[in-house]
Amino acid sequence: MPSYTKEEKAEIWLDSFGLDYTKKSKLYHLADGPYALAAAFSRLRGRAEEIAGSEACAKMERSLRSSVYLAELLAGYAEKSIACVSYSSPYYPEALRQIPDPPLVLYCKGDVSLLQTRKFAIVGSRRTLPQVVKQTEKFAAGLARHFTIVTGLAEGGDTAAALGALAVGPVICVLAYGFDHVYPSCNADLLAKAEQKGLAVSEYLPHEEPRGFRFPARNRIIAGLSEGVLVVSAGAKSGTRSTAERAFEYGRDVFAFPYGIGVPSGVGCNALIKEYAKLTDDLVDIAAAFGINLTEAAQEQAALSPSESAVFGAICAGASHAEEIAAKCAMPVSALSVPLTLLQMKGKIVSCGGNRYAKV
Amino acid sequence: MLSKVTSFALSGLEGVPVEVETDVQSGLPGYELVGLPDAAVKESRERVRSALKNSGKNFPTRKVTVNLAPADLRKEGAYFDLAIAVGILTATGQLDPSHTAGYVFLGELALDGALRPVAGILPLLISAKAGGYRKFVIPAGNAGEASYIEGIETYAASSLLQAVDHLSGFSPLAALPVSRYGAAVAARREKFDLAFVKGQAVAKRALEVAVSGNHNLLLVGPPGAGKTMLARCIPGIMPSMTFEEALEVTKIHSVAGILGEEGIVTSRPFRSPHHTATAVAICGGGSRAVKPGEISLAHDGVLFLDELPEYHRSALEALRQPLEDGVITVTRSSGAVTFPANFMLCASMNPCPCGNYGSADRPCTCSPAAIRKYRARVSGPLLDRIDIQVEVDSVKYEDLVSEREEESSAAVRERVERAREVQRRRFSDRPGILTNADMGERELRAFCALSPECESILRLSFERLRLSARARARIIKVARTVADLAGEEKILPAHILEAVSYRTYDREQV
Repeated sequence: MPSYTKEEKAEIWLDSFGLDYTKKSKLYHLADGPYALAAAFSRLRGRAEEIAGSEACAKMERSLRSSVYLAELLAGYAEKSIACVSYSSPYYPEALRQIPDPPLVLYCKGDVSLLQTRKFAIVGSRRTLPQVVKQTEKFAAGLARHFTIVTGLAEGGDTAAALGALAVGPVICVLAYGFDHVYPSCNADLLAKAEQKGLAVSEYLPHEEPRGFRFPARNRIIAGLSEGVLVVSAGAKSGTRSTAERAFEYGRDVFAFPYGIGVPSGVGCNALIKEYAKLTDDLVDIAAAFGINLTEAAQEQAALSPSESAVFGAICAGASHAEEIAAKCAMPVSALSVPLTLLQMKGKIVSCGGNRYAKV
Repeated sequence: MLSKVTSFALSGLEGVPVEVETDVQSGLPGYELVGLPDAAVKESRERVRSALKNSGKNFPTRKVTVNLAPADLRKEGAYFDLAIAVGILTATGQLDPSHTAGYVFLGELALDGALRPVAGILPLLISAKAGGYRKFVIPAGNAGEASYIEGIETYAASSLLQAVDHLSGFSPLAALPVSRYGAAVAARREKFDLAFVKGQAVAKRALEVAVSGNHNLLLVGPPGAGKTMLARCIPGIMPSMTFEEALEVTKIHSVAGILGEEGIVTSRPFRSPHHTATAVAICGGGSRAVKPGEISLAHDGVLFLDELPEYHRSALEALRQPLEDGVITVTRSSGAVTFPANFMLCASMNPCPCGNYGSADRPCTCSPAAIRKYRARVSGPLLDRIDIQVEVDSVKYEDLVSEREEESSAAVRERVERAREVQRRRFSDRPGILTNADMGERELRAFCALSPECESILRLSFERLRLSARARARIIKVARTVADLAGEEKILPAHILEAVSYRTYDREQV
């Protein structure tokens, strides 16, 4: 069981009542921090009741009188191997402290020291095009050499970022619910991997479920933790845009993939680029902003046979249909399956469904 | 007086001889029918009475007892009307018993004495012929199918009177001439031809490979892409049926009562049951008489399941065993019946609930979770039995109106037949295995040895494309078929790669 200072314990205690953020924040400022609040609770009870309501207040009072409440609480977390990084903890990242509404306690599973590394967020919407998924994996792998990648756990862009990063190093997944839950359930394996090889972070008590309003709140943590945010895909009303907006408010660098006209999953990205995001179609765009050197391990360039390079050349920007490719290369479609499969295996192209292929 | 005439009852695809015994005694006028008759058989009394009277014959005003032996076999349908009428005529002296000896009577009577066709004549005649019966009187409406059986004398009568006049020698009918299967095949016209399908080169190639190796096929594409049209072309590119195959298919169709005028099925069947079909409708069954289901009607042909995920789960799961065995045994309390069910499964589905996933011009609005849920409606074990999965995409307008010459079904069929010939020779000493799709573990090892190069490509494709491990055997089988189509003795890397490209749905969705 990790040892906590009395201030940290007081913060964990204050966080344990499941109050919403504004109430927690007001209680925090009622006295000189939660430790002072707990010490002088009988004196401040009247004002605390105004803020949190009588029921919660009674609970807090009971817990203060109880000799085992805190010990049981901490033992419960330890049993679930959850480490609590509270606001006054030395592990609490400084960048996150600077945002206007920092979480009081970060519940963590995994390697807590990752919070002190350089972090970069990659986020995307659930509806991410297959070729963008591949591209995201590439970017995540490239950036993971210099940063710890921060992302959510949604399908599509987030998953691609996590997978790409995990291939190279650790990843930080920020959850919008407590550790008793997994959402989406199909990413349970990925979450387990992240906990094992990286870190999963949540500001919610273990029993708190995924609810719609918790996701935008979670996005502020992603933005707050990171030095920069790369938006790989975002629809017109995507939650991904809120991450970018918070990042911009917090003065972080925002990067976004450019999209063509009328691609629904890219409308948000283009809008961000119009406002403040940096158009990013190469790792260098990000590397330059941070002054880092892309000393990439010379990528093994898979050699292409003549027919493969002919097919590769025939795939134009966006996705090309197999029959268009065949017409351009003057090859029968039946002969096309060989170079197309090989190119997919070499990671040069990706199938987008409907016999359409796109360059990565 | 007592009389005995012979008829046949249907049990599954087999005929069982039934002795119709008629006894007319003095007593209060009455009619008793015994021998486990069902409602349709019982009602024969009214039909026989009216038919006799309207044919100018007498129905006895005495006590009539009709027994259908064997007494413990449940009798169904209207096969016995003619036999009962002839029995009564014989028992009342209106017909000489010597005239009916050696005959088998089959047919339903109309009230005016006309003979109506009945279902299942072909299997009945085949069984009767095997049982040593040689002379038959059947309804004229069944003459088509009956004419394909050699070595028997069949007389097709259009009315009771015609049958009686034939038996008494007053106006004998000529025995049915034997029809030649070759002539029927030559007259065959396939309604659907690949030449009418514009574009879709990828799907057409997959169709050719699937039919060559008898692999089951899944077509994935948006609504209106032409999945159904492509599927309907499959019977046209399958090898022509031999007479034995045609006879077996005709038997099943005859029992189901869906046989056309020509009397024999010359085109491979194409069955597309609606997605509301129950497991019983698909597999066969019924409370008493067990009827063949869609999979048996599709025997030696194609079972097309349009919109696969919409089918009842139970109906789909019921397909798994017949897909492996090629037969279905339907067991009911009244007994078990085995029908052949060796069909090629062709299924189609949309790529996602909105249908536009992968479309160039209409964006898909489905979330990944919705797509996964939709695809999960088709169970893994069923998908496992589908070797080839191919995407069909919407046809462009220019393609539809283009004058470009598309390959005809006949040209494709030629290549298919060549590939089938290779397989026939390969499996000549392996009973029960006709095509690459039937190969088991042992055959895979014997006929599909992979060179180290192929092995490494296969391993690489599993790693890079995230294929599921159970696809391995499927890929090798399909690669074998691709090699057969190319006329290659050995499986080459190109064949493996093409086979890999037919496993779209094994790839993990990100």
